[in-house]
Amino acid sequence: MQVKRNNYYIHASPVFEVLTEDEIEAIYFSALRVLYETGVRVYDKEGVAVAHAGGAIVEDVQSDSALVKIPPWMVDKALATLPRKVTVHGPDRKYRMELYKNQIYYGCGSDTPYTIDPYTHERRRATYKDVKNFAKLAQALPNIDFHMSLGIVQDVSVGTYDRWQYLAMLESTSKPINLTAVDLEGVKDLLEMAYIRLGGEEEWKKGPIFSLYIEPVSPLSHSEEVIQKLLFATDHHIPFVYTPCPLAGATSPTTLAGTAVQALTESLFGIVLSQLRRPGAQLIIGGLMSNMDMLTTVYSYGSPEMALLSAAYTQITKWLGVPMYETAGCSDAKLYDEQAAMEATINIATAALSGGNMIHDVGYLEQGLTSSPEMMVAADEIIDMVKRIMRGIPVNDTTKALDVIAEIGPGGHFLEHDHTYSHFKDEIWRPKLVSREGWADWQASGAKTHGQRVHERVIEILEAETEPLLDEAMYKELRHVCEMADARHKDEELDMSMFV
Amino acid sequence: MSSVLERLSTAVIAGDAENSVKLVHRALDKGMDPKDILDNGLVPGMDEVGIRFRRGDMFVPEVLMSADTMSAGLDILRPLLAAAGTQLIGTVVLGTVKGDLHDIGKNLVGMMAEGAGFEVIDIGFNVPPERFIDAIKEHQPNIIGMSAMLTTTMRAMGHTIRAIEEAGLRDKVKIIVGGAPVDAEFATRITADGYGSNAPSAVELCKSLASAS
Repeated sequence: MQVKRNNYYIHASPVFEVLTEDEIEAIYFSALRVLYETGVRVYDKEGVAVAHAGGAIVEDVQSDSALVKIPPWMVDKALATLPRKVTVHGPDRKYRMELYKNQIYYGCGSDTPYTIDPYTHERRRATYKDVKNFAKLAQALPNIDFHMSLGIVQDVSVGTYDRWQYLAMLESTSKPINLTAVDLEGVKDLLEMAYIRLGGEEEWKKGPIFSLYIEPVSPLSHSEEVIQKLLFATDHHIPFVYTPCPLAGATSPTTLAGTAVQALTESLFGIVLSQLRRPGAQLIIGGLMSNMDMLTTVYSYGSPEMALLSAAYTQITKWLGVPMYETAGCSDAKLYDEQAAMEATINIATAALSGGNMIHDVGYLEQGLTSSPEMMVAADEIIDMVKRIMRGIPVNDTTKALDVIAEIGPGGHFLEHDHTYSHFKDEIWRPKLVSREGWADWQASGAKTHGQRVHERVIEILEAETEPLLDEAMYKELRHVCEMADARHKDEELDMSMFV
Repeated sequence: MSSVLERLSTAVIAGDAENSVKLVHRALDKGMDPKDILDNGLVPGMDEVGIRFRRGDMFVPEVLMSADTMSAGLDILRPLLAAAGTQLIGTVVLGTVKGDLHDIGKNLVGMMAEGAGFEVIDIGFNVPPERFIDAIKEHQPNIIGMSAMLTTTMRAMGHTIRAIEEAGLRDKVKIIVGGAPVDAEFATRITADGYGSNAPSAVELCKSLASAS
C-alpha cells in the first residue's frame, strides 16, 4: 500500500530517517572500496568466470574458490540496468507486491526448525501440517501481503523439504510467496511447480508468483549453491532476494556503520553478477542485519540495533534505487508474550516509518528458531495500527470542519452530525484484538487477556472452513514433482528418523 | 606484592597476552614447575573469567581475549609439559559439516576450548566425513565436535557418525554436536555423545567427556 504521499502531501506521514545523504554516500563509496580492494570469495567456477569476463580481477585461485575484486565502474554499469521496481504476484493475481520507493508490504519469515503448537503451546519441530496452517493464517490476515513458510517441513525427507513446503503453502494461500530452496535442483522443481500452478511458462512471464530467497554467507563469501541459484534465477526471470545476514560483532564489524558497509558489499556483488548475466534481472537486497548478543551469543531479532540498522539500510537502498528486504514482526521471546509484543511493535513501527518494501519475519520468535501462530496474528493487528499512523492527518476544508464547528457551536456535541457519520470510519482506527471495554464489560466477556484473545483468533482462523485452492488434478501433479524428487534423493537419507 | 602466579591469573582475566607471556617466562626463570604455572596461574584466571561470564559481568569478546591470553601462556608451557609427560586436558577436533559454510559458532567453541586448555584442531567448514576420519587417525582426539547451521546439513552429522562407525573408529572418540537448529533430542537420535547449546556449554561438555575418557 502507498503510505507516504508525495507532492502536496510530502510531510503528511511521519518518517524515520537515521542517516544523512552524506552518510549514505560515505557507506556506499566505502562498500565500493571493499568490493574493489578486499574483494569477495566466490566458491563457484561459473560465477567467477562470469565476473572475470565482465572485468573483475580474479586472485588467489584455490581448488574450490577464488577471490574476486570488482572495480567501481562495474557497479555503475550494473546499477544502470538494475530494475528500480520489482513486482511479485500471488497465484491469485489480485494479490501483488510492487516493490519500490516507499511501498510497504509485510510478510512472514522462512524456515524455522521449531514451531509453537497452536493447541498445546508445545515447542516442537515443524511439520507439513504446520506449514499448511501458517499459509492458511497468511491467507486470512489482511496485513500479511506475502508469505514465507514459518517452518521447515521435517516430517518428509529433509533433502527435498523445499518442494513439500511449497506444496503445503500452495494448498492454503494464493498470496505472493518468497521461497527457499535446498539447492539448484530444488529451484528447478519449484519453478516447475509454479508453472503447474499457473498453467504454463507463458503465464509465469506475465508476472512471477514467487521470489527466491538467496543468502550469501557473511563475511564476504558466496557459496557454490548461492551463485548457482543466482544464475538460474537470473536466466529464468525469477526475482530474488539477495540478502546476507551479517551478525554485528561476529560476522561483521560490531559498529553498525561497518556492518552496513559489509552487507552492502555482499549485496552489490549479487547485483553485479546478475546484471552481467542478464541486464534487467530483478533483485531485492537488504536482509537481516543485527547484532550478536555478547552474553548468550545469539543472533538478536528483537534488538534496537536491528531496527536501527534496517532503517539505515532502507535509506541506502532507496538512494540506490533498489527494492529493500526489511525485517520486522519478530522477537527473541520464547513464546508470544509481553516481550514478543514489545519487540515486534518497535520493529514493525520502525520498518513502516523508514519505508522498507518487503518486510519479512512476521511470526518469528527465539531468534528465528521458532515460529508462532499467535505472534503472527497479533502482529497483523500491530501492523494495522502502525498503518493508521502512517496514513497521517489529512488537512483540508472537509477535515478541518470549520462549518461543522460553527454549526454546533459552544456546548453542543458532534455524535449525531452527518460529518461524524461520514468520516468516523476513515478517521478512527478500530481494533479487533485490543480491548477497549470498561472493567465491568471486560469481566462480563470472560476477563480474557490479550494473549487469550489472540489464541482464540488463531484457532478461529485455523478451524474455519475454506474453499480448496488446488483442484484434485493440480494437487496430484504438484505432489508428483515432490515424489519424483524424493525418489531421486532416497539414498541420502539414513535408516533412522533424525528429526521427528 | 602479589606473586607471579597471582599476577598471571590477573593478566588472564584482563586479557593481557603480552604480560602473561612475560609472566610465564619469569615464572620459568624462577625455576617454577610448568604444571604449577598452569594449574595455579593460568587456570585460576580462566576459572574466574568463567564465573564472571556466567554472572554477566564479562562478555564474549572479553572472554575470548582472556582465552587468547591463556593460550599464549600455554603455548610456552605445552612442550615443557609434554617433555615431562604431563597429560593435558585433551584434544578436540572441530569442523562444520559437509555442505555448510557457517563457522562462527564452531570458531567460538574452538576459541573457548583453547581457553579451557584443550588442544584444538580446527578442520574448517564444508568438511566431508572422510576428513573427520582422517583427523581422528592423525590427531587421535578425545572429542570430535561437529557444527551445522542448516536443517538440511544437520543430516550430514548423522552421516558422519555412521562413517566413523564404519571406519571402526567410533569407540576411539566422543562425538558432540551443536548449531542453531540442533538440539539434544537430535543428538540422541543420531547417537552422538552430547550436545552443546552454546559455546560455553560445549566447552563444559568437552571437559566432562575428556575427564571421563
